[in-house]
Amino acid sequence: MTTTSQAAGHLSPDQLNAFVDRELSSGEMEQIEQHLMDCHPCALRVLSATQLKTATARAAQSVAAPPEALTRLTAQLNAQFHQRPPRKTMRASWTRPMQWAAVAASFLFVISLVGLRQARQAGAVSAELLDQHLAALSSGALPEVISTDRHTVKPWFQGKLPFSFNLPEALPADTTLKGGDLTYVNAQPAAMLLFTIRKHEVSVFLTQRSNRLAVPGLSATRSGFAIRYAITPELRIAAVSDVSSADLDRLVAALAQAQSPD
Amino acid sequence: MLSAASRASFESLTLPLLPSLYRHAFWLCRDHSEAEDLVQESISKALRAFASFQAGTNFKAWIFRILHNTFLTSRTGIAAARTVFLEDQPELLSVSDDRPTPEDHLIRLNNETAINDALAQLQPLLREPLLLCDAEGLKYKEIALVLDVPIGTVMSRISRARQSLRQILRPEGKEFQ
Repeated sequence: MTTTSQAAGHLSPDQLNAFVDRELSSGEMEQIEQHLMDCHPCALRVLSATQLKTATARAAQSVAAPPEALTRLTAQLNAQFHQRPPRKTMRASWTRPMQWAAVAASFLFVISLVGLRQARQAGAVSAELLDQHLAALSSGALPEVISTDRHTVKPWFQGKLPFSFNLPEALPADTTLKGGDLTYVNAQPAAMLLFTIRKHEVSVFLTQRSNRLAVPGLSATRSGFAIRYAITPELRIAAVSDVSSADLDRLVAALAQAQSPD
Repeated sequence: MLSAASRASFESLTLPLLPSLYRHAFWLCRDHSEAEDLVQESISKALRAFASFQAGTNFKAWIFRILHNTFLTSRTGIAAARTVFLEDQPELLSVSDDRPTPEDHLIRLNNETAINDALAQLQPLLREPLLLCDAEGLKYKEIALVLDVPIGTVMSRISRARQSLRQILRPEGKEFQ
């Protein structure tokens, strides 16, 4: 880069910017510094450009993240750090329900032998739900039915599950239905519904209510993900997401309400 | 799946950058809630892609590129992408004489609100490389990596951004004394 490429012998705009951004080699910097000693107009331009750069940086950096936002982001980072990697079989199962059935059946057989208590079983269900949610997030696999229309998603499950369910006419604000798929939860066939709340992914699992499945508490938190449960006369509803608890509660409540619209 | 050591490395590299990532996300989408979502999604993507990060290269440029690409696929990003590309409009790129005028000496550089407003008025296409350079301290070649454009494009956008800022910041009417 030459220092006097302009017709009038002044610095070009590119040279000026490269100089104030310290993008030049030491030799080029020296050449320009020498030119500035002899050229008052260019020296003024460099001074002005440097002031503008400083003012831009100061103004841009005045935007600070709210402390609570930084806390949430740090928590998310920590949660991802401490998150137990999903087991390979769990990830593969998302697109292969029959394999899942075998794995889940084996799992049930094992726990019947060791006689785990109800509370531990409930914990296993939570872990299983979280594994499935993470598998859906990380695999990038598309669900079997992709639609934001409840009139498309709900009929798709008919004949594939031993129960039926309703989807709410109106979802909570910022909540969008993405689609659904068949899966198994604790060896029970389940409908997996995928939603987004703003940019957060939510997995909802609907299973037929039975006495066999342990009843977890109404809420749980695992690895930074919230899990919410609801029970209707016919169904169990479980939702997993990293969205705020309030948002997740609203979605679960809307789904529960839709099962008994009257 | 990343090893525990890789996850620890990712966390130690990312944690100090959270304020910068958030700040840049805010300037991209101009909304605090959206900025937080954008950073969250970018961190998730970066963790999943961390195996592709080459040790010894600039992690900040790498994760800012993920943030930039995540923004491009967001609703706000898609809308911003409809902005006319200056490189496709050569007549808009003609650089007028930028030698200092008397107004330059009165430019409102000490008025942070005025600078903030001027930055907000800049086209997103120009604002992003300028902020990566001035606020985040990235070099031209790193900005080229983040934006996936040639280094010459980075230089022309930064030059154009500064020229636009000057025009916006010049005092009008009675303010010019």
